[in-house]
Amino acid sequence: MTSKLKQIKDWPWLVLSPVVIFVLIGIFAPWIMQYNPAAQNYDATLQGPSWQHWFGTDYLGRDIFSRIVGGARISLVAMAIVLVAALAIGVTIGSFAGYVGGRVELVLISVIDIALALPSLVIALALIGILGTGYWSMITALTLAWWANYARMSRAVVTAELQQPYIEAARVMGASHIWIFVRHILPHVLGLVVVYASADAGALVLAIATLSFLGLGVAPPTPEWGQMLVDGMSYIEEYPRLVILPGMALTLVVVSFNLLGEAFALQKVPRPVRGGLLRKRRRARAEEEQARQAAERKAASA
Amino acid sequence: MSEKPAIEVKDLKVHFATRAGTSVRAVDGIDLVIPNGSFHGIVGESGCGKTTLARTIVGLQKETAGQVVIGGRDRAEWMKSDRKSFSRKVQFVFQDPLGSMSRRQNIYQTLEEPLLIHGFGSAEKRRNRIQELLDLVALSSTVLDRLPRSLSGGQRQRVSIARALALNPSILVCDEPLSALDVSIRAQIVNLFTSLQKRLGLTIVIVAHDLAVVREVCSDVTVMYLGRVAEEGITRPLFREPAHPYSQALLSAVPSANPLIETTRKRIILPGDPPSPSNPPSGCRFHTRCPVAFEKCGAEVPSLREAPHGGKAACHLATSNKRPIVD
Repeated sequence: MTSKLKQIKDWPWLVLSPVVIFVLIGIFAPWIMQYNPAAQNYDATLQGPSWQHWFGTDYLGRDIFSRIVGGARISLVAMAIVLVAALAIGVTIGSFAGYVGGRVELVLISVIDIALALPSLVIALALIGILGTGYWSMITALTLAWWANYARMSRAVVTAELQQPYIEAARVMGASHIWIFVRHILPHVLGLVVVYASADAGALVLAIATLSFLGLGVAPPTPEWGQMLVDGMSYIEEYPRLVILPGMALTLVVVSFNLLGEAFALQKVPRPVRGGLLRKRRRARAEEEQARQAAERKAASA
Repeated sequence: MSEKPAIEVKDLKVHFATRAGTSVRAVDGIDLVIPNGSFHGIVGESGCGKTTLARTIVGLQKETAGQVVIGGRDRAEWMKSDRKSFSRKVQFVFQDPLGSMSRRQNIYQTLEEPLLIHGFGSAEKRRNRIQELLDLVALSSTVLDRLPRSLSGGQRQRVSIARALALNPSILVCDEPLSALDVSIRAQIVNLFTSLQKRLGLTIVIVAHDLAVVREVCSDVTVMYLGRVAEEGITRPLFREPAHPYSQALLSAVPSANPLIETTRKRIILPGDPPSPSNPPSGCRFHTRCPVAFEKCGAEVPSLREAPHGGKAACHLATSNKRPIVD
């Protein structure tokens, strides 16, 4: 049993597949959708699953399968924009603070700490209150609520790496600060932050759905999972699938992103060398040994 | 053409502020002249400021006062106006070869980095140069795609020496390059240093606490005590008859391979620990532990004066034909 579990852990593709499916569905949504997800059809409201409507229809006769697929696209795009923006802001501010140090760092850390002290959804809600509701204000609000974590991590990595003697070695070689940062420090920062972001993506999808559920994010006719949950709520007793299907889509995406993050994190844990890598190393060592012996023989005969 | 010395250190002071508001005087007024092409050793016990001195020479550490002049040019000004040409002149070899290389870069990338920073030719030219460097330090090209941590200690130090030589510097400053290596490897690296110096005409400054090694390879030597120069001179005569009582104690700790000498070797054991560099003793810094100290030592700072071995010693009792004997 445990060995099987371990085997599964060794196959990152298994963990990856729900994420890949989600991303593919998001990208190819317009071709997968059978119906316009916003199109209403009062002749076919609240129908059960059938060949025409795989997941049935909702109270306005909209095709639920198409709405879930369309929702995947909305979530994916919004999540990607927020993640990229939050990473860019967080890594820039955090790295700058860590690299420059001194007073600048102190001020920036205080800002980061204040941002972290407030729950990100609360910040997002407050910002939406200021900006008004809508897709872009949701994106802006989530970005501003999300960057601080990345900033703090980036700063920690930069501070730790700067202590390493190889940074001094690069300075002695005449490397500029930009060279050192881009070539030596940034890879370490991204290495950590991207792992965290991959697990964070699920939380972000959930946050987008939450805001839409509260009516603060994506506005109605656009298909969105949080929206669908609200719409289905009043029918939960007679037609539970209106809530269960988008809920399951949401759960699957969140869980699979979490697993993805975990798989990445496990990759970073040093594992015993075995299999192909070990054979490769043995071969390299044997070749080296042979080369050495040949050189010795040559030296001895000369 | 009047030869300017490779390195001139003029009344150099490096102080570190401590939290208590005092300062640690790691280097406190050092004058040093290292001529071109010499193999200079800096010795002294732990905490005497030898590493700080080396780091200040290459600009890894800012001086509090005084000046370092490299090849006739002020180092601080040189680094400000043209860091790159400075780093082509002077290179540094670190004590810990593993830490001084990025753990993400393989050896090829590690050796290529200085060439890239200095815009050294095409990829083809860089590859040839890297091969040249490997030959120089006697490494096989199979190491190129390995990571630093998968190399042995000796290989790592060879790589870090190769990297320091990549830009063809004329001065190589080494901070205890041997202390991370075990004894058999140490001998190989020492031989590498001497052969490199002969082949490339380098000026090498080596910080070491292995006195036997210094005796074997260095042409000149400086003995430091508590941030000051205690004694300096040509290695052989200085090791034969050290004039400063501290050098005598230090050198008495070196075992000899000659059994006739080794069996009669007397160790001079100094009383107590070295005083704190944040509150150094008045007068001669060594007077609190010196077996031959007298009143003047606590009152007056001895200047570096001629010693019988032809070098200089900072001891009130040393003159050009007389030296204090500690036994």
